[in-house]
Amino acid sequence: MPPRPLSPHLSVYKFKYTLTTSILNRFTGLALSAGLLLLVYWLMAVAGGAHAQARAARLLSLPLVRLVYGALIMAFCYHLIAGIRHLVWDTGRGLERAQAHRSAWLVVGVSIALMLLVGYWAWLAGARAP
Amino acid sequence: MTGFRLPANSRIVKGITHAAPRGTRELRTVRIYRFNPDAGVNPRLDSFELDARSCGPMVLDVLIQIKAAIDSSLTFRRSCREGICGSCAMNINGVNRLACTTATRDLAAEIRIYPLPALPVVKDLVADLTNFYAQYASVKPWLQTRTPVPADRERLQSKEEQERIDRPAACILCACCSTACPSYWWNSERFLGPAALLAAYRWIIDSRDEATGERLDELEDPFRLYRCHTIMNCTDVCPKDLNPARAIAEIKKMLLERQS
Repeated sequence: MPPRPLSPHLSVYKFKYTLTTSILNRFTGLALSAGLLLLVYWLMAVAGGAHAQARAARLLSLPLVRLVYGALIMAFCYHLIAGIRHLVWDTGRGLERAQAHRSAWLVVGVSIALMLLVGYWAWLAGARAP
Repeated sequence: MTGFRLPANSRIVKGITHAAPRGTRELRTVRIYRFNPDAGVNPRLDSFELDARSCGPMVLDVLIQIKAAIDSSLTFRRSCREGICGSCAMNINGVNRLACTTATRDLAAEIRIYPLPALPVVKDLVADLTNFYAQYASVKPWLQTRTPVPADRERLQSKEEQERIDRPAACILCACCSTACPSYWWNSERFLGPAALLAAYRWIIDSRDEATGERLDELEDPFRLYRCHTIMNCTDVCPKDLNPARAIAEIKKMLLERQS
């Protein structure tokens, strides 16, 4: 007998608040891990003397790299708030269906507010810089 | 381990359309996953157009009507038609539910029905639950005791002790929760899944059970228990309103507490 087919999963399952918040948490976590490379590069440049530092400063202020920072800041805000939701869950609280539904929207709302706040602060800092 | 993409033999191809009978007033289109193990071809998605007034209010009524009037080869499991046997669990409009307790009027005009996700398909909407049942058996879902039974009475519990297990004990093993869980999709050979873990929890917190330590030992494993990442699909879909996610969180807490 030929092997049985596998029933469809990801391609048919509805992306409700559960799946969406979870997968966003995964993706932002991955993005932040990758983003650490930028930080490592900057730290190495700082340790590598004035020449390396100046080159890094030039490279890191390119518009495209700034765009990456922006994305990383957004990822950080979401990942932080979603992580707090997971911490609360791990204490055994907030696990009823209605609570989880509410907290999903809360995470989205609070992380967007945080993104705007950090974005505004970064924009101010950028405007002050020479 | 299941991949993100379906294997080549599992990809769904275009199916047959059964046009609505003449004089249809309330058209309802139902797309159903079909697989015939004897045909040697890929699964397909058939469309059935019918008059909504020709069948009863639930999705199961629609399936029975299609089987009776349009295609008698349509295969699905059903028994009690009142949400207590768990046989007719399937993926309806993207969410796992019981066909018998899902009213068609609560769904979009077009209904899409697939078997429970990420399982081997036996035929049409009938998926192979062998592994699911084996995992249930692996948590030893029965009372385990060391002490002798009291001579003059049964092993009694208080009302509160019974109430603690009321909800987890109401599981009907329909598999809606486990097959809604992405962690279970990717690791069903090693992760026990929400249904089996809910059953394990029901016996761990049973005041009469005396194998709590052994039960927790069995679960202390990076895969059997800890593949749960609190995605919450299980609790979201449970047709009996049970809470496997909380049961799993409680087991994790108990494992942590006994370390200290």
